[in-house]
Amino acid sequence: MNADVPGNRPQHGLQLSKRARRLRRLGSLAGQGFLLLITSLSSLAVLFIFIFIAKDAIPFFTLRGFAEFFTSTRWYPSSQPPEFGVLSIFFGSGIVTLGAIIVSVPLGISAAVCLSDVLPFHLRQMVKPVIEMLAAIPSVAYGFFALVVLAPMMQEKGGSVLAVLAWCIGAPAAVLVVLVLSEVLSGGMPVRFRGAGRYGVGAALLGLAGWGLWRASAFLNAIVIPSGTNALNASVILGIMALPTVVSVSEDALQAAGRDLRMASYALGATRAETILRVVIPAAISGITSAVILGIMRAIGETMVVWMASGNAAQIPTPWFDFLQPVRTLTATIAGDMGEADHVTGSARYHVLFAMALCLLAFSFACNLASEMVVRRTKRRAG
Amino acid sequence: MSSRSTRRILDRAFTGLGGFSTLLLAAALLVILVPILIKGFGAFVFRETVEHRRMLLDLYETGDRAAVETEVAAAAKAREPVYAMLGAFKKEVEALPAPERRKLKSDCKDLEKALNSLLGPAPGTTQPILLRQRYGQNRWDRAQVAIGKVLYEEAYDYSDSSQMGKKILVPRVERFRGTSLEPLFDYVRDQSKAMLLPRWIFYGGFLTHTSRDAHFFGGIRAEVLGTFYLTLGAMLFAVPMGVIAAIYLVEYARDNWLNSLIRSCVSTLAGVPSIVFGLFGLAFFINTIHVSGSKSVLAGSLTLGLLILPTLIRASEEALRAVPHTYKQAALSLGASPWKSITTVILPAALPGILTGIVISMGRAAGETAPIIFTAAVSVGQPLTLLKTLTQPTPALSWNIYNLCTEHEAVDEIRHVQYGMVFTLVLLVLLLNLSAIVIRARLSRKLRV
Repeated sequence: MNADVPGNRPQHGLQLSKRARRLRRLGSLAGQGFLLLITSLSSLAVLFIFIFIAKDAIPFFTLRGFAEFFTSTRWYPSSQPPEFGVLSIFFGSGIVTLGAIIVSVPLGISAAVCLSDVLPFHLRQMVKPVIEMLAAIPSVAYGFFALVVLAPMMQEKGGSVLAVLAWCIGAPAAVLVVLVLSEVLSGGMPVRFRGAGRYGVGAALLGLAGWGLWRASAFLNAIVIPSGTNALNASVILGIMALPTVVSVSEDALQAAGRDLRMASYALGATRAETILRVVIPAAISGITSAVILGIMRAIGETMVVWMASGNAAQIPTPWFDFLQPVRTLTATIAGDMGEADHVTGSARYHVLFAMALCLLAFSFACNLASEMVVRRTKRRAG
Repeated sequence: MSSRSTRRILDRAFTGLGGFSTLLLAAALLVILVPILIKGFGAFVFRETVEHRRMLLDLYETGDRAAVETEVAAAAKAREPVYAMLGAFKKEVEALPAPERRKLKSDCKDLEKALNSLLGPAPGTTQPILLRQRYGQNRWDRAQVAIGKVLYEEAYDYSDSSQMGKKILVPRVERFRGTSLEPLFDYVRDQSKAMLLPRWIFYGGFLTHTSRDAHFFGGIRAEVLGTFYLTLGAMLFAVPMGVIAAIYLVEYARDNWLNSLIRSCVSTLAGVPSIVFGLFGLAFFINTIHVSGSKSVLAGSLTLGLLILPTLIRASEEALRAVPHTYKQAALSLGASPWKSITTVILPAALPGILTGIVISMGRAAGETAPIIFTAAVSVGQPLTLLKTLTQPTPALSWNIYNLCTEHEAVDEIRHVQYGMVFTLVLLVLLLNLSAIVIRARLSRKLRV
C-alpha cells in the first residue's frame, strides 16, 4: 500500500500502473468476499440446524397437536395406539439439571473465588490443569463411571455411600460454621470472659453439629436405594461435568473485575473476605450469572451421562423431589429411541424426537440470549 | 459484631471454604480417573492363561508355535485327571437306580458346563460353533471367577421369611459326596495353576488386533481406527473453515450488524446440544444432501466438524488477537499487502495458539458420542480402509464404550475390554490436552523473551 503514496514516485519504481492497482484492489475485494463467504457459511450452519430440525418437528405437531406433547405424562411411543406425552421427560431433564446446578454452582463459584483471589500463583498453576482435565474427559467416560462404578456402589451399599458423602462434605463445612458462629456469639460477651466464652460456645456448637451430622448420617444410612441408575447419580456426574464451565467462566469474570477495585477496598481496611463478598462478586455478578447459565446449558444438553446413569424411566417421581428414582431426559430419549424410530421415518414416532430436539434448541438459544443480555446490560451500566 | 478478631476469623473461614472446594474438585477428578486408569491398565497388562496364548496363535498367529504347543501339552496333562474322574463317574452313575441316576446326571451336566467355561471344551468332543466356547478362560482374574463357579453353586436362602431370599454359595462337592467325583473339586482348586499356566504379559495387541466374536477375544483395532478417521475427517473439514473465519473476524470484519450477527451465530452454535448435532447430521447430511446412502464416516466427520467449529473459531480468534499490533504495523510499513502480512507475519506468530485450539478440539471430536450415533457409528464392524470411509459406517471408541457396557450380551465377562476402551480414549484425550499445555507453555516462554 505504501507504494501508492505519491511522494516516492518514479525513481523507486514502486509505483504500480493503474491497471495493476485495479487488479490488486479487485483481488483483495474478492479475497475478502471469499473470507466472508466461508465465515458466513459457518454461521449459516446454525440457521440450517434450526431449519432442518424444525422441518422434521412440524409434522409431529400437525399430526398430533400441541396439547398432548406438553401436558400429558404418558410416554408410550410403541404401544397401539401410541401416546406421546413428554411432560414427564421435560420434568426429568429439569430435575437432573437442577441437581447438577445444586452440585456445581456453590462448588464452582467458591473454587473460582479461590482460584482468582486466594491461592498463590504456583498453586493456581497446579489447579488449572485439574479443571482442564475435568473438562477434557469425554462424556461417555463420565457415563461409564456412573454406570459401572457409581451405580453398583449406590445399589449395593445404598445409604452408607450417602452417609459417607455427607460426612465428607458436612464435617469440614460444620467446622467452618462453628468457628464463625462461636466467634460471632462470643463477641457480645464481656471482654473478661470472651476467651473462655469463645471456647465454650465453640465446643457446644461443635457437639451440636457433630450430633446433627451423626443423626443425618444415621438417617441416610437407613435409606435403601432400589436402583443405582437414578436422578441422583446423573445429577452428581452432570454437576462434576458442568464444574469446569462454571469455574472457568466465573473465574474470568472475577479476574476481569480488576486489581484497582480490590486495592481500593483493601485500602479502606476491608479484609479479603469482605473485599470479595462485598466488592468483587457484585462487580462480577453478570459474568457469574452467565457462568451459571452456561452450566445449565451444559447439563441440559448432555446426552451420554444421563442416558447411562438416569435409569430412563419416563415418570414423575412421587414426591417430585425424590432424587433416588429413575427419570428420563430429553437427550436420552432422542438418543435411545432413534434406533427404533429410524425405520418408521415419517411417522409421529420419528418426528416427536425432532420436536424434542427443537425444544432443546429453543431452550439453549434462549439461554444464550439471556447470558448475552446479562453481560451487555452490566457493560452498559458500567460503561 | 465487627471486632477485629471476628473479622479475621471470618476471613480465615472464607479462605478455608475456597480451599475446601478446590480440594473437592481435585478429589472428584481423582475418584473418576483412578478406577478408569487402574482397571483400564488391566486390559493391557494382565495374567494370561495358556488358553489366551492358544487363542492368539490360532486367531492372530502371534506367539511362538512350538513353545505354545509344549505349554498346551503340559496343561492338557495336568487336566487329564479331571476328565478321567468325569469318565469314571459317568460309568459309576450308570449302575445306580433311575431317580438317583437322573439327578446325578443333571448335576454332572451343570458341573461340566462350569468346567467347559473354565478350561474350554473337553478333549475328544466336537469343536463348538461359537468362537467363545472354543477356548477356556483367557485371563487369570476371569479364570478365578470360573473356578469359583466350578467349586460353588449359587442358591437362595429363604429361611428368614421377612426378607427377600439371600444369595448364598453352596459347595458343589456336597452333591457328589461319596462318588468318584469328590476329589475333583480339591484337584481343581489346588491344580488350577498347572491347568492354566498363568503368566504376566503386556498385551500390546489390544490396540492392534481386531476383535473376534463380539469383543470376547482380541483387541479394539476397528474402534481405534474409526475414532482416528472420524477425528481426522472432522479436523480436515473444520480447521480450514475455523481458521479462515477467525482471520476474517479479527482482521477484516468491521463493527457492523452483519458481523455482530455472525458472532452471535457462532456463539449460538457453541451452545447447541451435541445430540441435536446428531439429529441435524441425520436430517441434513444423510437424508437431504445424501453424502452417503446411510451412516458413514464421512457424514459423521462432517457433523463432528460442525460441532467443533465454534471452539476452533474462538481459539483461533483469541490467538490472532494476542499477536501484538506492532507486528502488523511493521509488516505493513515494509510494504507488505494486508494479506501478505497476515500469511507471513500474523499467522506464524499466532500459530502456537491456533495449534492449541486445534489439539483441544481434536480431543473433543475424538470423545464425542452423541453426534455420531445416528451418523457414523455401528456396534460391530471391521476396520475400514481409507476409501471405504466415504460410504461405510464404523465402530468408534466412544460409541462402543456405551454399546459394550449397556447392550452387550455378556456385559460382566468383558469388563476388561470396556475399561480398556475407556482407558484408551481418556488417555488419548488427556495426552492431546497435555500437548496443548506444553505448546502453550512454550508459547508464553517465547513471548516473554
